[in-house]
Amino acid sequence: MAKLLAIPYTVKIQKRTYITRKVSISITFLSLILAFLVVGLIFIFMGINPVDVYYHITMVFSSPTLLFESFKRAIPIGLAALGLSIAFRMNFWNIGAEGQMYMGMFASTGIVLLHLYYGLIPDYLVMFLMMLAAFITGGLWCSLPAFLKIKMKVNEILTTLMMNYVAMYFVDFLIYGPWRDPKGYGFPLSAPFPDYAKLVMLLGEFAYTGLLLLSLTAALVYVILKYTKLGFELKIVGESIDTARYAGINLSKVITLGGFLSGGVAGLGGLTIVSGIIGRLRPRASPGYGYTAIIVVLLSSLNPWLIIPVSIFFGGLFVAGDILQAALKIPGAAVEICQASIFLFIIVGEFIKRYRIMIVQKGGIE
Amino acid sequence: MEELVSLRGIVKRFPGVVANDNVDFSLRKGEIHALLGENGAGKTTLMNILYGLYRPDSGEIFIEGRRVKIESPRDAIKLGIGMVHQNFKLIPSHTVLENIILGLKEVGLIINYKAIGEKIKQLAESYGWRINPSAYVWQLTAGEKQQVELLKLLYRDAKILILDEPTSVLTPQECKILFQALRRMANEGKGVIFITHKLDEVFAISDRVTVMRRGKVVFLKETSKTNMSELAQYMVGRPVIFTIEKKEVQPSEEVMVIKNLKAFNDKGVLALKGVNLTVMKNEIVGIIGVTGNGQQELVEVISGLRKATEGSILIDGVNIVNNSPEKIIKLGVAFIPPEPLKYGIIPNLTIADNLFMKAYRYKPYSNGVLINWKTIYEKSEELVKAFQIVSPSLSAQARSLSGGNLQRLILARELSGLIGERIPRLIVAAYPTKGLDIGATEFVHKTLIEYSRRGSGILIVSEDVEEALMVCDRVAVMHDGKIVSVFKPGELDIEKIGLMMAGVEIAST
Ligand SMILES: Nc1ncnc2c1ncn2[C@@H]1O[C@H](COP(=O)(O)OP(=O)(O)OP(=O)(O)O)[C@@H](O)[C@H]1O
Ligand SMILES: [Mg+2]
Repeated sequence: MAKLLAIPYTVKIQKRTYITRKVSISITFLSLILAFLVVGLIFIFMGINPVDVYYHITMVFSSPTLLFESFKRAIPIGLAALGLSIAFRMNFWNIGAEGQMYMGMFASTGIVLLHLYYGLIPDYLVMFLMMLAAFITGGLWCSLPAFLKIKMKVNEILTTLMMNYVAMYFVDFLIYGPWRDPKGYGFPLSAPFPDYAKLVMLLGEFAYTGLLLLSLTAALVYVILKYTKLGFELKIVGESIDTARYAGINLSKVITLGGFLSGGVAGLGGLTIVSGIIGRLRPRASPGYGYTAIIVVLLSSLNPWLIIPVSIFFGGLFVAGDILQAALKIPGAAVEICQASIFLFIIVGEFIKRYRIMIVQKGGIE
Repeated sequence: MEELVSLRGIVKRFPGVVANDNVDFSLRKGEIHALLGENGAGKTTLMNILYGLYRPDSGEIFIEGRRVKIESPRDAIKLGIGMVHQNFKLIPSHTVLENIILGLKEVGLIINYKAIGEKIKQLAESYGWRINPSAYVWQLTAGEKQQVELLKLLYRDAKILILDEPTSVLTPQECKILFQALRRMANEGKGVIFITHKLDEVFAISDRVTVMRRGKVVFLKETSKTNMSELAQYMVGRPVIFTIEKKEVQPSEEVMVIKNLKAFNDKGVLALKGVNLTVMKNEIVGIIGVTGNGQQELVEVISGLRKATEGSILIDGVNIVNNSPEKIIKLGVAFIPPEPLKYGIIPNLTIADNLFMKAYRYKPYSNGVLINWKTIYEKSEELVKAFQIVSPSLSAQARSLSGGNLQRLILARELSGLIGERIPRLIVAAYPTKGLDIGATEFVHKTLIEYSRRGSGILIVSEDVEEALMVCDRVAVMHDGKIVSVFKPGELDIEKIGLMMAGVEIAST
């Protein structure tokens, strides 16, 4: 065998065993910088000055009103991501946060509408009841695939994904049908929420109750994962089902319960869309927050505290998208391409963190 | 004599330990070189460096006198180096042939199964093995799997063979066959590095012996010029006693009674064909037999991991067949599993997590909802000391432990009576001393005997007949899914036992 063009180098991909925090953070920042450079290139091709674009994006994080808007978007993203962090911990690949959020929206709106018609309870209890309903409905929406996985080995990626569409179309059906506001001039919208059913500003804008809700949930998820029996069980199940069985862990219970909590927290996220951002229910109320949450949770390496700043960043990107469309007349599709490229770079960065890509000299005799 | 391998000044550090501290090692043509050392001494690390799995922090590698760089196992294979790992890496659902050619570049796209099969068969026969290339690996005994691992290396024309604790799962007969083959390979001019904890094997097979201790080479001699106690002295740093005292106790009550137990294995074949066995309080019962005769299925059924189709297992009078593992654990059944990495250990979790993956749900380690990490860490500290687990810290990942230290971790979890603060009622121990050095083996034997005298009933599964005869009060031979004979140590001679294990002799008892 004549090897005329023997290249003395090969590329190898190897799973990393550990990575220092410093390297990890540098990789994230590097991929973000690269992402923004590429986005700039895209805009240059479209004949738009990228400096204008960057200016508008930085505005989002410097102007108080826009930053507050980013916070608002960050709440549902962050809650969905917190939910996912529970499921991912037990190696349950829940990509159904979107659907679980729609179920949360459905349940909280249902409570509002019921209360508007029948007024059975005092107004100040409505919010509490909405949260409970959103949590339970979102939770059940996720514990079903969890149950199917453990009892019948049905792949959760498929079920959770498909149930997203079921939930989304179910909300469509309600809004185009029985829940359409009779006083809404025929628009596909529910009746607007009264103030007691909205997330209010307690002490000026920064004490937005949504942010409080997000922080409290993060703390709770942190405690559950780290200090409870369930958290420990989720961790073992996530590492090895066989070992979990050997250790005497009740798999059906742990996986179904983990799924319930995961979906429940995402359901709360749904509530913050209707109660916090829109103030009523409309079709397609989530522009994909539940999918963004998947990137958020991976980027935060399942750490509940990191999820908060990371979701604010992504909330900001959503706001930036709106601003760019309005201010620079950039078509929506172009904005989506940019968002997608940023996501892509982040995912590549995460890959590099987990795997070492090496260009090595071929070994052998020196 | 020509040097095949020469390692000079090898240093390898892991966080918290120097696994290899300026190690020199050499292997000659035609030589079988035994590598000895306590658990965690750095033997596997050194061999992983030679095989290209780790890169040394410093040091040089010479193969046949030429300085080389080994970046990956692929490079090592190209240089004629082959390794059989501490835990086999064959794929059970593939055939022997498929496993052997897996990853071979030269085979090309179109595989000539017939020609390759013929070549494998010839190769095997030249070493006196009978291997069917189209048999599935899951059908093979441990000894045969080992042969396949070796064939894989021989097929690639390896001239430097590394065997990391190859005999820990073999019966005496299988060992004999292995040794004959290794000798033949050496005579053909290959070099063999043989890692073991068993001193008698060193004398049975090796030409030279190197002893490592805490990352350093402390001893190197021709095997014929040394003796057991000298080696033990260098390995452990103190003399080792090779026999153990067993106080006589009258077994009083029945702890476990197994009646007509039947169960299938993973492939849906009946693996237990009506097992009957009793374990008394204060008694150690040993099951010996060639692997794959139902031992694994039996211990899995007892611990609730496998369903039985017929029969009963009474523990203190309660039938636990097909109960959940949780319930069986709660009855005080400790289980040391046959393959630690299959489900005994979670490599990515910390040592404390691994120690408490069963006991976490009982008091005082948790209450209703919350885990009491402080108590767990305090207790873990104690266990690590008591079972001499060498580790950088309690929050280090279990994957950083050496083979023998992993086994100690499992022993600490299962034997220390964490659940209910009492010694286990029944201990089911599959190959409890697998991979342990002589010091630790002695410790485990003593512990098991002590527990049995304090009131546990113990069932040991072992391939090491001598171990079983030394430690157990009664020994049962298992063959083809049945207990074919039960006797007391001393009642039968080793030859006869070997024949019963092979299924040749039908028991008279
Ligand atoms: N990947 C790793 N990360 C961190 N530490 C490691 C790693 N591999 C080995 N070590 C440490 O290096 C030391 C030597 O381990 P090694 O596996 O070489 O021991 P060994 O001599 O093969 O022992 P045994 O007889 O128990 O198999 C041990 O202290 C071990 O904890
Ligand atoms: Mg080792």
